[in-house]
Amino acid sequence: MAGESKNGMQCLEFEALLNEALDESLKGQKLENFQTHAWTCAVCGPLLAEADAGRRWLKSLAEVEPPINLMDNILVATSGLHTSRRHATTGAPLSDSWFERAREWASGLVNPVFAVARQPRFAMSFGMAFFSLSIGLSMTGVKASDLRHADLRPSAIKRAYYESTGRVVKYYENIRFVYQIESRMREFKRATTPAEPAPEQNQQQNEQQNRERKNNNTSGQPEQPRQERNYSQGESQPVLAAAPDIPPVAMVTTYRRFV
Amino acid sequence: MEDAQVVGMLVRRCVAGDAVAWEEIVQRYNRRIYNICYRFAGSADDAQDLTQEVFIKMYRTLNSYDVERSAFMTWVTTITRNLLVDHFRKSKQDRVTDSIDAAPSEHEDATPLSDKIQDRTPTPDASAQSRETRETVHRALQKLSPDLREAVILRDLQDMDYREIATVLRVPEGTVKSRINRGRAELARLLQRTYRQVM
Ligand SMILES: [Zn+2]
Repeated sequence: MAGESKNGMQCLEFEALLNEALDESLKGQKLENFQTHAWTCAVCGPLLAEADAGRRWLKSLAEVEPPINLMDNILVATSGLHTSRRHATTGAPLSDSWFERAREWASGLVNPVFAVARQPRFAMSFGMAFFSLSIGLSMTGVKASDLRHADLRPSAIKRAYYESTGRVVKYYENIRFVYQIESRMREFKRATTPAEPAPEQNQQQNEQQNRERKNNNTSGQPEQPRQERNYSQGESQPVLAAAPDIPPVAMVTTYRRFV
Repeated sequence: MEDAQVVGMLVRRCVAGDAVAWEEIVQRYNRRIYNICYRFAGSADDAQDLTQEVFIKMYRTLNSYDVERSAFMTWVTTITRNLLVDHFRKSKQDRVTDSIDAAPSEHEDATPLSDKIQDRTPTPDASAQSRETRETVHRALQKLSPDLREAVILRDLQDMDYREIATVLRVPEGTVKSRINRGRAELARLLQRTYRQVM
């Protein structure tokens, strides 16, 4: 192809002029030679047809609309601010415009709720709810610092969702596992130590204390938790001794080890 | 075309810490960058991620932009292209298994080609209005080698001139022209083959 010459034009020259020809910037004698070569050369003719078709296919592709939240996401990921375009007229500070308007709009909606919430008993409930939420989040491995640096890309959000779901499921499984072990151990203990000596047989002073406690016990239920605590405290195995006192923090350690 | 003076001033204001100027820059260029990323990477999700990455990179390196050296558009496109190269390297394995008949992308929202083409091979002009055909072209574009793909995207979809493309791709103008020709011809052959298979 390269060395072939047809109608005063080599194939290499034809190819070099192909862009100009498709851009319609080829004129005069050059254009005539180009066209003649295309009609007579078995290589360059199809090349011209294909390049022209490919160009028109590409031109048929319309520009696509970016997602509507793209600009906001970019601004949050870079300057840390939301767009002011929808509200600000000129170069007003970014933070005032949207926040003030959102607050105005929301105040009509939430003021009655806040009036109730400001009462002490509701404030206490809200406080407890917040406390529970923060404990829950920290137990599932979510930290405030993680949220601050959260990745807002769509694929990252999807990934984070599946990771979090996985963590919660694992956490739940671990808790269930711990409780199962605990209850099995309790059953095992009951089965292996049938005749626990009554405390009054050995300790006279304890007898009086116990009698006083029984009198104060209005539930009518046997003192199961006390028996359990005593049982565990008198036990030589450290695992059992620790089992009933495991706080949630210890379970988090278990969960982390599994993850 | 960009107004070099306006953009130069926006960049200076932005480097000085003006958040409104940065927003203006994002407003001006997000659509263009998103489109380049979408046409190169193929999926709307990837395009969104990549566009964000481009702007994060721009935001961090804006003070290194030299108004005298290159047009802002060229600088922005160079950043975009470099990130696309990185992205391509990372997701090379996934791309190998891609097919023109793969799941529809978000923008063209097409059903598989084999369900669509019944009676005739559309010509580029006749099919310009068809959403399904655009989707087919978009998928065929993903089949081009990255060198040819980026060249035709910058030329035929972004209307950049050969010199600007040569600057972005860091190759001579002759190479740019050759890649554009080969890219266009290869795309036409791919589409011809696809339609012939279906028929
Ligand atoms: Zn020839």
